[in-house]
Amino acid sequence: MKKLIFSILSMALIVGCTKKQEKSEFGLDINDTIRVNFLTEPPSLDWSKSTDTTSSFVEINIMDGLAEFDFTKPNLSVKPALAESWEPSNGSKTWTFKLRQGVKWTDGVELEASHFVDGWERLLRPTTASEYGYYLFGVKNARKYNEGKLKDFSKVGVRAEDKYTLVVDLDTPRSYFPLMLTHHASYPIRKDVIAKHGEDTWADEGKIVTLGAYKLKKWEHDRIIHLERNEDYYGEKAKIKNVLVYMILEQSTAVGLVDTGKLDFQLEVPKSDIRVLRNREDYVNIHNLGIYYYGFNTKKAPYNDSRVRRAIAMAIDRKEIATVIGGGEKPTGNIIPPGLIGHDEEIGTKFDPAAAKALLAEAGYTDMTNFPKLTLNFNTNENHQLVAENVQAQLKRNLGVSLELKNEEWKVYLKTLRTNNFGIYRMGWVSDYPDPADFMSLMLSYSENNRSKWVNKKYDSLVEKAAAELDSDKRIEAYTQAQKILLEKDAPIVPLYVYSSNVLVSKRVKNFPINEMRQFPLKGASLVK
Amino acid sequence: MSQSATTDQKTMLTSTSGKAESLWADAWKRLKKNKASVVSGIFILIMCFIALFAKQIQPYPFDKQDITQILEGPSATHWLGTDNLGRDLLSRLIYGARMSMAVAIFTAFVSLFIGAVYGAISGWFGGKVDAIMMRSMDILYSIPALVLMILVMVAFGSVELFDNPELKAMTGIFLALSIVGWVSVARLVRGQVLQVKEMQYVEAAFAMGASQFGIVWKHIFPNILGPIIVTLTFQIPANVLFESFLSFIGLGLQPPFSSWGVLANEGWRSLRNYPHLIISPGLAIFMTMLAFNLFGDGLRDAFDPKLKNR
Amino acid sequence: MRKNYKVITGAVIVGSILLNIFFDLFEFEGFLPSAMLYVSLISGAIGATILIVKENLLVYVAKRGFEAFVTMFVIATATFLLLRFLPGGPFDTEKALPPEIKANVEAKYNLNAPLIEQYGLYISGLLRGDLGQSYKYIGRSVTEIIAQAMPATFKLGFYALLIAFIIGVPLGVIAAYKHNTWVDNLAMAGAISGVALPNFLVGAILILIFALYFRVLPAALWESPTHYILPVLTLGLRPISIIARLTRSSVLDVIRSDYIRTAWAKGLGEKVVLFKHVLRNSLIPVLSISGPLIANVMSGSFVIEVIFAVPGMGRHLVQSVNNRDYPLILGLTLLYSVVLIFANLIVDLLYSIVDPRIKLA
Repeated sequence: MKKLIFSILSMALIVGCTKKQEKSEFGLDINDTIRVNFLTEPPSLDWSKSTDTTSSFVEINIMDGLAEFDFTKPNLSVKPALAESWEPSNGSKTWTFKLRQGVKWTDGVELEASHFVDGWERLLRPTTASEYGYYLFGVKNARKYNEGKLKDFSKVGVRAEDKYTLVVDLDTPRSYFPLMLTHHASYPIRKDVIAKHGEDTWADEGKIVTLGAYKLKKWEHDRIIHLERNEDYYGEKAKIKNVLVYMILEQSTAVGLVDTGKLDFQLEVPKSDIRVLRNREDYVNIHNLGIYYYGFNTKKAPYNDSRVRRAIAMAIDRKEIATVIGGGEKPTGNIIPPGLIGHDEEIGTKFDPAAAKALLAEAGYTDMTNFPKLTLNFNTNENHQLVAENVQAQLKRNLGVSLELKNEEWKVYLKTLRTNNFGIYRMGWVSDYPDPADFMSLMLSYSENNRSKWVNKKYDSLVEKAAAELDSDKRIEAYTQAQKILLEKDAPIVPLYVYSSNVLVSKRVKNFPINEMRQFPLKGASLVK
Repeated sequence: MSQSATTDQKTMLTSTSGKAESLWADAWKRLKKNKASVVSGIFILIMCFIALFAKQIQPYPFDKQDITQILEGPSATHWLGTDNLGRDLLSRLIYGARMSMAVAIFTAFVSLFIGAVYGAISGWFGGKVDAIMMRSMDILYSIPALVLMILVMVAFGSVELFDNPELKAMTGIFLALSIVGWVSVARLVRGQVLQVKEMQYVEAAFAMGASQFGIVWKHIFPNILGPIIVTLTFQIPANVLFESFLSFIGLGLQPPFSSWGVLANEGWRSLRNYPHLIISPGLAIFMTMLAFNLFGDGLRDAFDPKLKNR
Repeated sequence: MRKNYKVITGAVIVGSILLNIFFDLFEFEGFLPSAMLYVSLISGAIGATILIVKENLLVYVAKRGFEAFVTMFVIATATFLLLRFLPGGPFDTEKALPPEIKANVEAKYNLNAPLIEQYGLYISGLLRGDLGQSYKYIGRSVTEIIAQAMPATFKLGFYALLIAFIIGVPLGVIAAYKHNTWVDNLAMAGAISGVALPNFLVGAILILIFALYFRVLPAALWESPTHYILPVLTLGLRPISIIARLTRSSVLDVIRSDYIRTAWAKGLGEKVVLFKHVLRNSLIPVLSISGPLIANVMSGSFVIEVIFAVPGMGRHLVQSVNNRDYPLILGLTLLYSVVLIFANLIVDLLYSIVDPRIKLA
């Protein structure tokens, strides 16, 4: 019996091995195919609706926006893509975009300014129910239209002046507006295609119409997406013909596939193995525009006392956290990540246990035995747990304070944060567009992301003023003042470190785009044959 | 099927009608002869001892961090090495024994209790009560255990029933494992009760005017205790594995407490790079599973009346 | 005569399944493999119908069907309510949505309607065979998602159970036959070892040995029959051990029973007795455990699917709860329940064929 099983197994082995060699999935030539793993199935390729990493990766490769990042420059700057040029007027409140002429969608139709108007209208339309609807709230009357208070879209500040001219009116001056137009939420849309194939199903294989460097060739749900070079692309054509996007959830599995030559790119590496992987040749580490922070519920004792909050902030050694994680995270006390204007390492609390103890004494806690027990809520995740356990040990060591940890499943956690039933919480913010405004508006008193329930009118007005400020020095000055209020005086949140990307890129790939924005347009990448 | 049922009836009749103790004495005698069971039993006892006195035995506090000693291999100071927060793995393993055994044994008893009561009521009253109780159990049984466990864990995972931090950390797992565990016990007990109920001595007891509770307690309970204990010894290791499975899907024990499931889940990805993280918890789980299973096999044989005459 | 149709349908089913396995392993595609699948399904249906009519099981099957229907209804209701009891909703996201946008999203999926109305809508959809639209995967219906994910999970589970029987039964028989020898001890120690480690660890060990060290098998993915070997083996380990242990003890039971002793005493050849009487009778309890085994394999497949990147239903099951994708959770729960109920019915029917002493009606 065993012999039989063995022979069946070995037969299967031989058959499997002799077949498909040097050919990857779908019989593609391996020398003209890059295989990347983005962990999960994209919920939708409809760029007005999707919100996740995989979708955004595919969308960036099959579509273009008015502007795109110029990753060849050291600082994040943008260059025109579908727009040929743009011009601010009216003190940066009005922006006029001249579109590139002769750009063809994959069905042969030429791109027009009205496609942008259609796209933005659809993004903001209440019935579209787009989770990114807020992205364009800076456009005049956009918020009212999205809330359903305004029915007439022609009152919203975007219009097609002629076939190739798009004019946008903003509610306040925004010098960084073109930066925002790199995001997939701002891409143009073909209303006729949606009308033909259906609101929810037009973005499927065989139906979707795009204009980027790649086009969607095949989409086997939960398994693989095949992108093929768009030969009619208006710009420089992609160098690699095929992109295979895998959806392998388990990171250690994907690393195994990289090691056996089955994958060329892996988006994340397992935190547990990072100390070994970081010595490898194919490992790449880069900081993201993202901040990991702890916050306090400022409506609950003892966290309602800013001295207690500051004392806790000062008792945490951020360097130790970074060491423990070991993925090249950069400790920071700033809410604005390095690489953006307004970032200044001088701002923020510094590690100083003695001063922290003094602050607690000032707040009336000289004897630590009568100090109330602190709680930290976080969502269940290997990394969050590591940070939490380290902070727990640090507070015990540095202040003699005990911290109770409570991990909750993600959605349960989000629900908890909407109640008053938590003390310290963990959160993170990864930018949609590289401007400090994106980070500073987190803690505005009316922001949904201000989970600390912290209100400071001075901060609000400084951040609002800075957003509308055109002069760079004055902007930085306003942000510096605001950050000092947020991080040194009131301390409703404690930034801990800057997120970092830990990726594996096989050596046969050249010019793989790795950047702070975690955008991966592959048109410039090539393969060593 | 019917073949074995008749033999069962015969032996049960003889055993209970005169000398209930002799059944136990015989079982004990047979168990002692089985070497594998004896060794396993001793191993289990040692594990229980370690679990009870984990706090005294552990060389370091299980949650003491030392960031100068992150992910060190085994050494003289840390016999099994350290984890990614520089905690002593041996201490975490010893403490893990406490949590794992507590979860496994406690849930096994809870599901046993619920299952036994449910099954006994259902089997004893019979008729409509039985039909309704069995149907509702069938429904519960048809819901995939995985779904049920996840839903229970998510819904009740953060409910605070206890003040004790250790118990608090385990609440969700208790609930999730108990809710899926009791069904098989209930079936077993019901079957046994139905069988025993029909026997002459029970009818005789009835005729002599014994109370219902008295009959269940005196005559039926001792008879079904054997199979129940056997089920218990198989349920406990199953719970240890279930607990590690819950850790795998991210619904495990609350930190900083460690259990074998938590350690296995933290370590399996490091099989290649930091084998010391997974070898010791893996071995601990393996040995314990082996011990409980061998002990269970031995117990079953010991209680199996068919083996008696051979 | 009475036995003939059982044998014939049985042979047709087994034959077409074997052919199917053959086609699958050697990657034949096209008309024949799918035709064989239908042949096995149809012959199974015909065989079952004949059995039901001939053995007067019509009332029994109708009763079981009705019970199944009620069970499904209760499960749908209970799961529906339980889901709404879970904290957090499908559209709670890290970047908190402004209230107006959240209201828009919830309006789209009727989540702002009274619970009873939502429930009514769901049940009426269910009766029309509509499992609803996924909240997470925009534009994909639950039916579509399940249909796309089912083949991989079924294939994985089928092969795992197949090797479990192929390896487990002989192992158990040999162990019983060589009772109390080193062969027996070794086989049983092996069988217990099969259940003694969490399956994610077993999977990781197998990947390390066969894919990363010896490099003879793929580390993961679901592309060709070579890709099946490791996941199927990992998933099958537990059933193998359960079947081997059960087979051993039931073979021992049968060997010791009086009628086998009689057969032996009558001087029938050892092998004849072993195969004709012992095996047949001792497989009945093994058959009875296939229902729970199927449930076991279904639960276990989640871990295997994650570790080996198999595009199946298991990971949907866990992720849909994490996403609070109510329609998808409900759809998957109902599907798993149907499979369980159906498998138990088939096992009971098979039971009555193998052991004529059992009367179902």
